Amino acid sequence: MSRSSVPGMLIALAVLIAALLFAFTVGRYPAGLGDLFHVIAAKLAGRPSGVPHAAIDVLLRIRGPRVLAAVLVGSALAIAGAAFQGLFRNPLVSPDLLGASSGAALGTVLGIYFSLGAFAIEATAFAGGLAAVGAVYLIGSAMRARDPILLLVLTGVVIGALLGAGVGLVKYVADPYNQLPAMTFWLLGSLAATTASDLVPLVGPVALGTLVLLALRWRMNVMSLPDEEARALGVPTGPLRIAIIAAATLVTSASVATAGIVGWVGLVVPHIARTLVGPDFARLVLAAALLGGGFLLAIDTVARTATATEIPLGILTALVGTPFFIWLLAGMAKTWS
Amino acid sequence: MTINRRTVLYGLATGLAAPRIAWAAPVSDNAGRAIAVPQKVERVFAAGPPAAILLYTFAPELLLGWTRRPAPAECVFLGAGACDKPEVGRLTGRGNTTNLEVLLNLKPDLIVDVGTINNTYISLADRVQTQTGIPYALLDGRFAAIAATYRKLGELTHRQSQGETFAKYAESTVATIKARVDQIPQDKRPRVYYARGPRGLETGLGGSINVETIEFLGARNVAGDRKGGMATVSVEQILAWNPDVIVTIEPAFAASVRSDTVWATISAVKTGRIYLSPRLPFGWVDFPPSVNRLIGLWWLAKALYPDQFPEDLGPLARDFYRQFYHVDLTGAQLDRVLSGQN
Amino acid sequence: MILSGHALTIGYSGHVVGRSLDVTLRTGEVLALLGPNGGGKTTLLKTLLGLLPPRAGEVRLAERPLSAYSDRERARLVAYVPQSHAATFAFTVETVVLMGRTAHGNLFSRPTAADRDAAAGALARFGIAELRERPYTELSGGERQLVLLARALAQEPQFIVLDEPTASLDFGNQGRVMGEIRALKASGHGVLFTTHDPNHAMRIADRVYLLRQGSRIAEGVTGTTLNRPQLEALYGAPVELITDRDDGRTAFLPG
Repeated sequence: MSRSSVPGMLIALAVLIAALLFAFTVGRYPAGLGDLFHVIAAKLAGRPSGVPHAAIDVLLRIRGPRVLAAVLVGSALAIAGAAFQGLFRNPLVSPDLLGASSGAALGTVLGIYFSLGAFAIEATAFAGGLAAVGAVYLIGSAMRARDPILLLVLTGVVIGALLGAGVGLVKYVADPYNQLPAMTFWLLGSLAATTASDLVPLVGPVALGTLVLLALRWRMNVMSLPDEEARALGVPTGPLRIAIIAAATLVTSASVATAGIVGWVGLVVPHIARTLVGPDFARLVLAAALLGGGFLLAIDTVARTATATEIPLGILTALVGTPFFIWLLAGMAKTWS
Repeated sequence: MTINRRTVLYGLATGLAAPRIAWAAPVSDNAGRAIAVPQKVERVFAAGPPAAILLYTFAPELLLGWTRRPAPAECVFLGAGACDKPEVGRLTGRGNTTNLEVLLNLKPDLIVDVGTINNTYISLADRVQTQTGIPYALLDGRFAAIAATYRKLGELTHRQSQGETFAKYAESTVATIKARVDQIPQDKRPRVYYARGPRGLETGLGGSINVETIEFLGARNVAGDRKGGMATVSVEQILAWNPDVIVTIEPAFAASVRSDTVWATISAVKTGRIYLSPRLPFGWVDFPPSVNRLIGLWWLAKALYPDQFPEDLGPLARDFYRQFYHVDLTGAQLDRVLSGQN
Repeated sequence: MILSGHALTIGYSGHVVGRSLDVTLRTGEVLALLGPNGGGKTTLLKTLLGLLPPRAGEVRLAERPLSAYSDRERARLVAYVPQSHAATFAFTVETVVLMGRTAHGNLFSRPTAADRDAAAGALARFGIAELRERPYTELSGGERQLVLLARALAQEPQFIVLDEPTASLDFGNQGRVMGEIRALKASGHGVLFTTHDPNHAMRIADRVYLLRQGSRIAEGVTGTTLNRPQLEALYGAPVELITDRDDGRTAFLPG
């Protein structure tokens, strides 16, 4: 790692740590960082902590899983965004591009429509995301094209639109009193209902996908070159592209299944990470993962604390993401370094 | 395209309506609009679910069709022939699904809509009335206005005495319950959390129609500081509120919350004051918020103030179901309803 | 070592570009591929590189069919220098050159000290060591071409194949890059490059291959093969030959 990227990496790590501290300090229930330290210290020493039982519950059973989920989801979306930006050679690309989010959304609203249990709904969301990307990839590769990347992107946009229409249809026939509010709120994005058991279907896939992407990060620079150049350098671009897309989609689907559609993270965080550590994907992927976790955690903390009722994550990330995107468009060339 | 359709419909309407219908004296609806009511009213179209229930209770033979056909489990708790009526969609509210041509085909004498009275719904009513030539009456859907709504419905359909009967039932129920509730001091009124959604994290804010009866009974809605409709909250917030009572309509949630360690420290869970609202054929507290809440008022009053309401719910429920849903409940059916299961 | 194409029919699906082509490149020699646009130069190049499958015939590398090599094995023997292009991401020059070492590691490996040495050596060899930390996107066209050359050299291949290496360069840099390509022969590499400019071929190529509309018109030692009638047949246009009165060196001009 070159000297110049270490400070940037440390900043990304510092953001994550600061967000963690902030997340445990605030909340609608009066329990804070000091209480957390007491509880942990007491557990280590094997004595009671003197913190009220309800507060311990809040810290360990409510905030704890939610904080972990926010970090995992943010990290997953950011790392997938970085991977897709390299793969599609375009800094304006995000994980929703290949239809993963729309597919997961359709899976989820179908689960709600058929009144499935919470775990089953996450499974259908997951299946929907993977199926969507699978369909896009199959259709894209069945058609031969000089520019396979552009074809994938266009197919993804079309499939995404189709799936979005499917979601609209399900919302249309849903029971407006019971199912529709649940669907609407879920689609906007929320970690409100996160419990420890929700972490189970999240941790596995995110860990797996992240490990694959981190392992492949030394080849991602080459993958961002035109296909022929990359192959001439000795990289099997076909299989590698599949592996990267699969891993990035896996983490995206798992995130969408847990938290609903949370946009902008996969677009904004890799860019900020790039300004911190440079465009080399070996460093970028790691920095994006750290920064993404901290970023979404900070936003989720605001979402659950600012008012008595939950603010959907999608709204907050859009509030942050949209001006950033405009700024990005305005100064395009500069931000690529 | 719309212009063509409107012209055709308007032409049709004036062509069809003018020579055939004999008009009675105009009636003023709850929005203050003068409704030209035909002398004979035998076919009434309900514009939304609350209207459908209101009409069904009042005079099932008048109801042309359901907004959404009741499920087979619900049909058992409705009078004979209730579920033979067709599904005709809804004219108002989220996602209008009624085709205006279908509406015209049904040849209603009157359209009735029950719900919020505001400019949006008034303009919708005027628009449909102009397009179809069918009188469209708006009635107040608030819980406190149920008696007045029944009377108005009686006027519109020329069944004033019938309207009076239903209105008196509503008034006496409300008066009896309210008289006792008014005696209860503020600090004895419980703090209530209304739980909806599979995890119980959706609730009604202050003044929302979903918690109308809860707030009507003087209970303090923990989410009531903010005014509005429905909203989602986190468990942490519910812990911070620490309600005395939880009211819900979700059987799965009611079952799981008792053993959920995260909710365990909440006062309502500790004292076991979790109340699952009956929902057959229509919800007793909500779902939809219409006259079905009348019998729910007794149930809710007993849940909130058990000492002041010792009455046995059985006979009250039987009586209500006979008069309003036109069905005689067996013992087993009554138990099933009161259990709150689907 | 020999890289050769035998009876190659080249092209894309639904579109044949050239038929029955035989090409041979040996290490230690420079071969120039000349011809008008659309004649198949780039297609032939990519077929020899293994980036495009031949529609008929075979490419052989070191006595084995090219198709028998994996991408990685092939990359350790043959390097490709594309025309210098605008890049999307502003990698540093060092990072770009390090990408040339990809074939020497496996899928997950990070650059080793040996890799960095090879990269540094390649940069020094072309005299651009001071550009090491500069972003690739901020370089001039000539500098970028040299960086891509360094990347190919870092690959430590036997053969280096260049596509129009001077196409987007200014006059001064053309000479410089040409000189570097010539020097590659001296270090034992086999070099194949395509060019529009017969004079470049004249200066640095040992042999030339003339390709017009997918057919080989002529092939052979530069001195004898590259003459006025051949060029006129190749380009279908008049060509002038200028001779320097003092030292007899020649140059071609469009007629």
